[in-house]
Order: sequence, then structure tokens, then C-alpha cells
Amino acid sequence: MRKFISLAIIAAAIVFAANPAMAAEGAETVAKAPWGSVAAGISLAFAAAFGALGQGKAIVAACEGIARNPGATGNIRTTLLIGLAFIESLVLYVFVIAFLIK
Amino acid sequence: MGHEASLFTQFLNHLFHIHLHDNVVMGSVAFTIGFIIFIVLSKSPELIPDPVQLVYEGVIKSIEAMLEDNIGKEGKEFLPFVTALAIYIFLSNVLGLIPGFSSATANLNSTAALAVIVFIYYNYIGFKKHGIKYIKHFMGPVWWLAPLMFPIEIISHLARPFSLAIRLFANMFGDHSVFLVFLGLIPFFLPLPFIALGLFVCFIQTLIFVMLTIVYLAGAVAEEH
Repeated sequence: MRKFISLAIIAAAIVFAANPAMAAEGAETVAKAPWGSVAAGISLAFAAAFGALGQGKAIVAACEGIARNPGATGNIRTTLLIGLAFIESLVLYVFVIAFLIK
Repeated sequence: MGHEASLFTQFLNHLFHIHLHDNVVMGSVAFTIGFIIFIVLSKSPELIPDPVQLVYEGVIKSIEAMLEDNIGKEGKEFLPFVTALAIYIFLSNVLGLIPGFSSATANLNSTAALAVIVFIYYNYIGFKKHGIKYIKHFMGPVWWLAPLMFPIEIISHLARPFSLAIRLFANMFGDHSVFLVFLGLIPFFLPLPFIALGLFVCFIQTLIFVMLTIVYLAGAVAEEH
């Protein structure tokens, strides 16, 4: 454990000690971090995750409904598809915004 | 989001030396096809229907059933408008699946135009039926809640064409994008299930748009207790 800590301190010292040397080189070209793409990716990941959760709950309810009352399969299926389309449209709003801020 | 125009519009633009936008040309094609199929080629209905007549009847009857479910007896006067909307949106969506063509509704301008038409139409129907008392729809249940309810109702009513437009546009555009990505990734016939998914999505989105239109019409025509 003590060896590990001393090793970590030496590694951190090397990493942070090299920075003044790089800054002294003159005009350094720092690439602008692509925050637009980062935000687009993260927001789409969230939207897809929660959208999938919501659609999962809708499908579970539909399956239970069909299991209890197989005669109403047509109505339940129609309601299920309409509900899925509404939930999906929320995810797609995020997709459109992600495209805009790409 | 400047994608390249479809091959069909490029061909037409070169042929006639014009610069028409993709969605304008494709919307006109969808309208023309719908016009030819549903007006020019439709015969007077016979007692024993042939398969083509069954398609017409199926489309019109199902929309009429939705109208009567939601609005009641006076739903039938909206049947021409809603049917035309449904046919145009479905044909626009489906044309995008054919290689060389593209969806008119994959462009935010087309879907926004449709949403604005629906918005103006259901407000017009509300004013025509109720007169100036249509404003009472925005007031809420009791009169002293009106200053609070009025902005909320206005905002929620304004959000309707937005959500209609963006829902349809995002579904068509996202579908197309995903399909293009997969077309680049895996070869040849393997993206075929995505076209099946695209067909399914086209149909569902038409259904959603039409059903929301009918619900908004029902809300505009509703009688206050």
C-alpha cells in the first residue's frame, strides 16, 4: 500500500510538472472541445434509456391485458401502438435537438 | 440539415432547368398520385365490391369510425378534410421508402405547413360552431380562474402544431437517417428489415397525426356543460 501511494505521487508529479514546459513553447493550438457533440450524445443516451423504460412499461401492461382478456386483443394492440408512438415522439424531439446542436 | 436532393428532383431540375426544392417536388408527386388514385380512378360504388373498392371503403370507413368515436354525430362533416390529410401524409411518407424518391414529410417545412393547416382549421371550426363564445373554451372551469387558465391554455394550444410538426418530421427524418447509416455499414440486402420498419412507422405516424387532428376537432366542437 505504501509503495502504491508513493508511486502514485511520483506519477502525478511527472504529469503536472510537464505542463509548464509545454506552455513555454509559445503559441499552442488547443483544439476547442466539441461540447455540442458531447451534449448531443449524452442527451440522446438519456432519452433513449428513459424512452425504452417507458415503452417497456406500456408493453408489460398490454401483455397483461391480452393475457387476461384475449378477446380484446385488437383494441389492446391498437392502444399499445398509439401509446408507443407517443412515447417515441418524445425521444425523437431530443433527436431533433441533438441534430441542431451537433 | 442540408442533405442532397433525391435523384428524382435532381433529374427534374436538370430536365427543366429549374431549382425546386426536394419536398416541393415530392409533395406534388404525392398529391398527384393521391389525386389519380382516389379521384380519377374511382368508379361509382357497386353492390358487390371488387378489391380496389374495398381499399377505398376501408380507408374511408375507418376514418369515419374514428370521427364518430371521438366527435359523435357531427363528425361526418370533417370526413373530407381528414381523409385528404391522411392520404396525403401516408403517400408522402411512403414515397420516401422508394430509392430515388424522398419523403416530403422528412422536411420540417412540409410538416409545419400541415400542422398550421390543422391548427387554423380546428380553430376556424370552433369559431364557426360556437361564435365568439369559443373563447370560453380557454377560460377553464370557473370564471375567476380565467386569468390563470387563459395563458396556460393558449400555450398548450400553441404547443399542439409544434408537437404535430416535429413528431412527424422527426419520425420520417430519423428513420431515413438510421436507414442511411445502416446502408453504409452492412451490405446489400441486410438493411431490408429497416424498410419494413419504415413502412410500419409511416403508417403509424399517419394514424397518430389523423387521430390527434380528430381529438383537437372534438375539443373545439365540444359542448360546455
